[in-house]
Amino acid sequence: MALVTVSAIFLRWLPQHGLPILLLFAVSAGTAAGIYFTQRRRYSVSSRGIHNENVDADITAVLWTAFAGVVLGALGIGVVLTG
Amino acid sequence: MTNREQPASASVPPSRGKIAERLLPGGEEPDPRFTLANERTFLAWIRTSLALLAGGIAIEAFTADLFLEPVRKGLAVVLLLLGMLLSAGSAVRWLRVERSMRNKAPLPLPLIVPLLAAAGALAAAVVLVFILWR
Repeated sequence: MALVTVSAIFLRWLPQHGLPILLLFAVSAGTAAGIYFTQRRRYSVSSRGIHNENVDADITAVLWTAFAGVVLGALGIGVVLTG
Repeated sequence: MTNREQPASASVPPSRGKIAERLLPGGEEPDPRFTLANERTFLAWIRTSLALLAGGIAIEAFTADLFLEPVRKGLAVVLLLLGMLLSAGSAVRWLRVERSMRNKAPLPLPLIVPLLAAAGALAAAVVLVFILWR
């Protein structure tokens, strides 16, 4: 939800900064969609992990989420400084 | 087979994947509740970072009548930079905590807390100076 909100706020920049903003929107909305559509599987894995007393740390998901935040910040700074 | 009897293959831990083996080597799997709690804390930091990103965008987009352009851009960059650093820092923090739990070591101090406090204070100071000076 937070990513969807951020992607909607990015659209507010569209009139001032033009089409490059769609890249920011795509990264944000794409990450939100990725989280949403894998939520059921991750919840299921976590539930079974608690039942079996063994959960593997989901390192890929953590790194991708953090990477998306870094990319959004870097693109945002680029837009502010060049706009 | 009773619940306590396990097949021979059960004693061999399943593969955790190359990335996990590389970034989280050694130790043993912590209590799953702790692993999930660590992930929840990471997600809380990510939400904070997204709020800062949204705040930076909002400052730049909505305050054209309120702030001078350099102040507006400066604040927006500070907030966006902080959001970016928090996002990366939260992943580093998650990794360090996970490693500590695997090795039953004391948890590391959160380095992103002073970062957030200092940058928040800086942004507040910029706004305060601008309001007093205006």
